[in-house]
Amino acid sequence: MIYLDSAATTLQKPPAVARAMARAVGTMTSPGRGNHGPANRAARILLALREKAGELFGLSRPEQVILTASATHGLNLAIKSLVRPGSAVLLSGWEHNAVTRPLASIPGVRVGKVEAPLFRPDLFLADLDRKLAKGADSVIVTHVSNVFGYILPLDEIAARCRARQIPLLVDASQSAGVLPVRMDDWGAEFVAMPGHKGLYGPQGTGLLLVRDTARPLLEGGTGSQSRLQAMPDFLPDRLEAGTHNIPGAAGLLEGLRFVEKTGLPVILRHETALLDRAAAGLARLPGVRVFRGEEAGCQCGVLSFQVEGRDPGELADSLADRGIAVRSGLHCAPLAHAGGGTEEAGTVRMSFSAFNTAREIDRALEILAELV
Amino acid sequence: MYYLIVCRSLTYAQRIANALESAGVRARVLRSPAELSPSGCSYSVRLPARGLSRAMAVLRHTGLPYLGIYVGSVEERWREVSP
Repeated sequence: MIYLDSAATTLQKPPAVARAMARAVGTMTSPGRGNHGPANRAARILLALREKAGELFGLSRPEQVILTASATHGLNLAIKSLVRPGSAVLLSGWEHNAVTRPLASIPGVRVGKVEAPLFRPDLFLADLDRKLAKGADSVIVTHVSNVFGYILPLDEIAARCRARQIPLLVDASQSAGVLPVRMDDWGAEFVAMPGHKGLYGPQGTGLLLVRDTARPLLEGGTGSQSRLQAMPDFLPDRLEAGTHNIPGAAGLLEGLRFVEKTGLPVILRHETALLDRAAAGLARLPGVRVFRGEEAGCQCGVLSFQVEGRDPGELADSLADRGIAVRSGLHCAPLAHAGGGTEEAGTVRMSFSAFNTAREIDRALEILAELV
Repeated sequence: MYYLIVCRSLTYAQRIANALESAGVRARVLRSPAELSPSGCSYSVRLPARGLSRAMAVLRHTGLPYLGIYVGSVEERWREVSP
């Protein structure tokens, strides 16, 4: 099989990930629930994960790194900390349902969005300035669109939020492990990311980078201040009720080590070369519309396309039957599809990882050529 | 005789222990004795008596927070040590 669905979950992982998970299952229990070897080994893994994530994502205090079950979990925690009923939230307009659905659950929230065409960061920033001037209580931005791979100009967005002292939440689901993610440099209030995509960790893991303003989404045991019925007021305990996913943390730590060792520029260059190759090949096929950013540096990792007269779901199923794994439909992001003008049928999406090869892209294109 | 640096969380206790070990002070994380943990369940870093002055320097240098430092001995159970 040729796997081109890494924007959902990377399938190929560094072998150390599975090894570390198996070791954790066999030798580790739960941090803070005992002072014996298995509990202490688990505690060391968790601290090592926080420290490594802190290094990679520009945080000085490892306790600001919260282990979550997914980016969705982290985004829920962040949004429900940040957004009060009736407040005004400005979105980039390219957000996933993991952002828009939690917002919809908060009464009276006024949601606005930046209006600008796909792959036009200059027009995006111009409209962002207009919208910020009208006022917003918080800004939520996806770093890279999970539908189109569009890279939002995060440094400039963050600078504008800092200047106006508006809290910024970044959804780094598609960028973590590919692009620089720098929490402190951005001055972001929260950055959420999954463990199972570009960080090459297992499903069921995610990281949320927080500041002291974060509020618990879940209450329960933390192994600390157990006489009190309020959650501890310190990080990370305040936000991590219940038993940790230690096998997941151990696997994710190895994923982070792989990303660090390989290097973000190497991963980005590799994925961009694959994306360019796929885009060029798709553009040569009859009736194919490819969503490709013309400007260098405005797209990474994800390539959407449509084929005239073909349903994206049916085409993706045909590809799957021939051993090519892609994703079709709305990709849980109807807002992004509205921005791209593809909300009716959605798109077929190819997405890449450090483990894909040019040969795989060529083979996928050959098979697609037989189908269109 | 030995000292306990009482911390409010396991994460801080681990970080302090790692910083002390890096500075050559033998340190071990353990659950705090109940009488030093009125809110229930906290963590401490245990260090030998001879490590205190170096530990204090490490704590000052790193700025890592802690709740208190206590000395344990046969004569009296726990006594807080002024930093």
